[in-house]
Amino acid sequence: MSTATSQRSFLAVLTGNPNCGKTTLFNALTGLRARVGNYAGVTVERKEGALLVSSRDQPVTILDLPGTYSLSPQSLDEQIARDILFQRLPEVAAPDLVLVVIDGSNLQRNLYYATQVIELGYPTFVALNMVDVARANGHEIDDRSLSAALGVPVFPMSASTGEGVKAFADAVKAHAARGTQRVIPREFSELPEDFGREAREIQGELSKLFPHRERLAAAEALLLLSDDQALQAHPDHYPAALQEKVRNARTRLEKSGTDWRSASIEGRYARAAAIEMAVITETGGPEETVSDRIDRVVTHQVWGPLIFVGILLALFVSIFWVAEIPKGWIEWLVGALAGWVSGAMPPGDLNDLLTNGVVAGVGSVVVFLPQICLLFLFISALEDSGYMARAAFLMDRVMSRVGLHGKSFIPMLSSFACAIPGIMATRTIETVQDRLVTILVAPLMSCSARLPVYTVLIAACIGGGAFVKGLTLTGMYLLGIVGALGMAWLFKKTLLKGEPPPLLLELPPYKRPLPSVILRHMWDRSSLFLRRAGTVILGINILLWFLATFPRDEGIGNRFEVERNQRIQAEHPGDTTPEAWAARRAALEGAEGEPGVLLEALRQLDREQAGEELRNSYAGRLGRLVEPVFRPLGFDWKMGIGIVASFAAREVFVSTMSVVYNVGAGDAGDEEGTSGLAERMKTERRADGTAVYTPVTGLTLMVFYVFAMQCVSTVAVVRRETNSWRWPLFQFAYMTALAWVLAFATRWIGIALGGG
Amino acid sequence: MQAGDTVVVKQLNGSPEMNQRLREMGFGEEQRVRVITLQTNLLCQVCNSRLGLSERLAELILVAPAGPGRLGRRLGLAA
Repeated sequence: MSTATSQRSFLAVLTGNPNCGKTTLFNALTGLRARVGNYAGVTVERKEGALLVSSRDQPVTILDLPGTYSLSPQSLDEQIARDILFQRLPEVAAPDLVLVVIDGSNLQRNLYYATQVIELGYPTFVALNMVDVARANGHEIDDRSLSAALGVPVFPMSASTGEGVKAFADAVKAHAARGTQRVIPREFSELPEDFGREAREIQGELSKLFPHRERLAAAEALLLLSDDQALQAHPDHYPAALQEKVRNARTRLEKSGTDWRSASIEGRYARAAAIEMAVITETGGPEETVSDRIDRVVTHQVWGPLIFVGILLALFVSIFWVAEIPKGWIEWLVGALAGWVSGAMPPGDLNDLLTNGVVAGVGSVVVFLPQICLLFLFISALEDSGYMARAAFLMDRVMSRVGLHGKSFIPMLSSFACAIPGIMATRTIETVQDRLVTILVAPLMSCSARLPVYTVLIAACIGGGAFVKGLTLTGMYLLGIVGALGMAWLFKKTLLKGEPPPLLLELPPYKRPLPSVILRHMWDRSSLFLRRAGTVILGINILLWFLATFPRDEGIGNRFEVERNQRIQAEHPGDTTPEAWAARRAALEGAEGEPGVLLEALRQLDREQAGEELRNSYAGRLGRLVEPVFRPLGFDWKMGIGIVASFAAREVFVSTMSVVYNVGAGDAGDEEGTSGLAERMKTERRADGTAVYTPVTGLTLMVFYVFAMQCVSTVAVVRRETNSWRWPLFQFAYMTALAWVLAFATRWIGIALGGG
Repeated sequence: MQAGDTVVVKQLNGSPEMNQRLREMGFGEEQRVRVITLQTNLLCQVCNSRLGLSERLAELILVAPAGPGRLGRRLGLAA
């Protein structure tokens, strides 16, 4: 953790219910310059940033806590929020100020959490957000009486429009400048008498045990008494004597007929309802809202799934057709750049490294940027509009068939873009088994890195029009989904048994997504892809270029040179000197129209030479070393190189094949803008003259890529997320084995059906 | 019970953790809830937020029509 707050900085933590506009407020306060990191040991995102209006000598850091409904956490996310407020996370200092965000359009429930937090005894500000939405719903909130009722300053605002944010930020700054002040303890829960007595007793114990957290003692006592898990989750933290005391208190309460589980919740809700009544003026009756009407259609038994499938189809169609246009531009640019580089310097190794290794290799991956941007654009729009939660709600039925929860669906859908954010999104899943199963199967969803592989293979191997190609692609995505669901079912039946808790999901109100926000999301995520192309893939390509170029055997080149020259001389007996042969070749290459027999033969010799040299190189030896593993799948050693390299990252396959097949300046540009690599792959022949990239080979390769775990970053994230090597290794093994077996099956079914 | 009805929550029969979470999210006893859709899964308006519940969960919640003197019924489709 490098983001630990410095001793001098004033720490304000931002907390609130999910969907209360907390993140919007955070962005407004910090100006989107947040540092995003992780809390030690878990991948819960830790977002902090400097308050925009704060000065250099009085810095204020805002820490955005994960959204939570209460201080009794049900998921990892919520646990982090609770632990920070209870000062149990050593890496985060005690907050100097707590900013509670309240959704004004849903006052009662938000007050439940706000009062819990206020009771913790920190200096607290309440950001009364979404007052505009509340007003539109016919609720006028009197912020002065709310402030009086809560005993803390209340700032009405609308974080999305910016109304009231400045005043809030200034108040935070002013508070930081004033330094520490005494806080009058407050209690909001109207407790039954015996419950209150027991709570006070435990509070006394806690104050003695943890004097440095004395002001938290009252709230902590209440939580220990009423929340079973608060005690269970930290058995080492609380001495046995205290645990015993709590249990005895509960038994006494049960005897007297007080439900210790619900007493404080009910008491607090009653108080929240009373406060709500006192501060709200109804200006209009409740009526059917737009969200109601949309939800009636979108979550409909029949229309809901149809709309969902329609949205997915639109996504894939746009990835394939719309993205082709900017993709063409980038391809042209890459080709032009490769041509320029190769022309600007003398021929030789450096020239070859730059054109074939760097430009063509990295370029072959970068051309997929438009498709990846579109994918992320769609997913960001689905998230920001509020549709994603509906999709989870809708998919709960399907997911429950395989023993999972509707909530597992969101990580799986995100994994279409990338398994890493998908796996990180699993932290909202309550049970450990369900979370693990979701992590294990999420990488089976076809991520954006597979898209380049599928695209190139479809272009090279699958004949037919755009429809057949689109269908093949959709098939690969479907295969991933079916595989993920099937494996989830299997894991839930065998390794990780356990019924998921029933679905309870808050659906945020629909809102029109802000273009600036979606575009920012899209860019944040897509730029990660670009950065990877600039670092990992660039590195692998340079390495690969060396492996594919050395050791160099001059003999091969000389042998083919002699053969080529004999061929020219046989056709043109007058050409007898090296200069004449070179001039003849140049003339043939420069001629208009279809290449003649001689030129074709010469080019064939070029290819054979390149193949022979590659075969002799380190990469070729590596490829032939692994060939026995892949031969039953019908893959040759060249594909073997690509497959081995793509265990680093799947899209490396494309750049590797570009290097392997030498798709450099000459080839990339001249195939009327379509992928030079795919065109080159089409011309690849086996020793017997048959095409290497047949439909069956293409499908087999694609099936392998659907299932294989070829992504170092995902392995690392799973390792961090599960805190052990056991699960990532298991995942790697099962996915790779599955990939091999299913690819093998694909090949033999393909051959049985008459493919080659 | 049908979509658009307002009902009052009478009893929660889930596990203690589930009940606690339901209560914390506003789905506590005596709370008025508006049913928005009633397909296999349920969509309810509680306070001012929208909660989606699976059928399995809805089965565990007893409700009565908003109005005096009626017995509890299950929130689920079986009601």
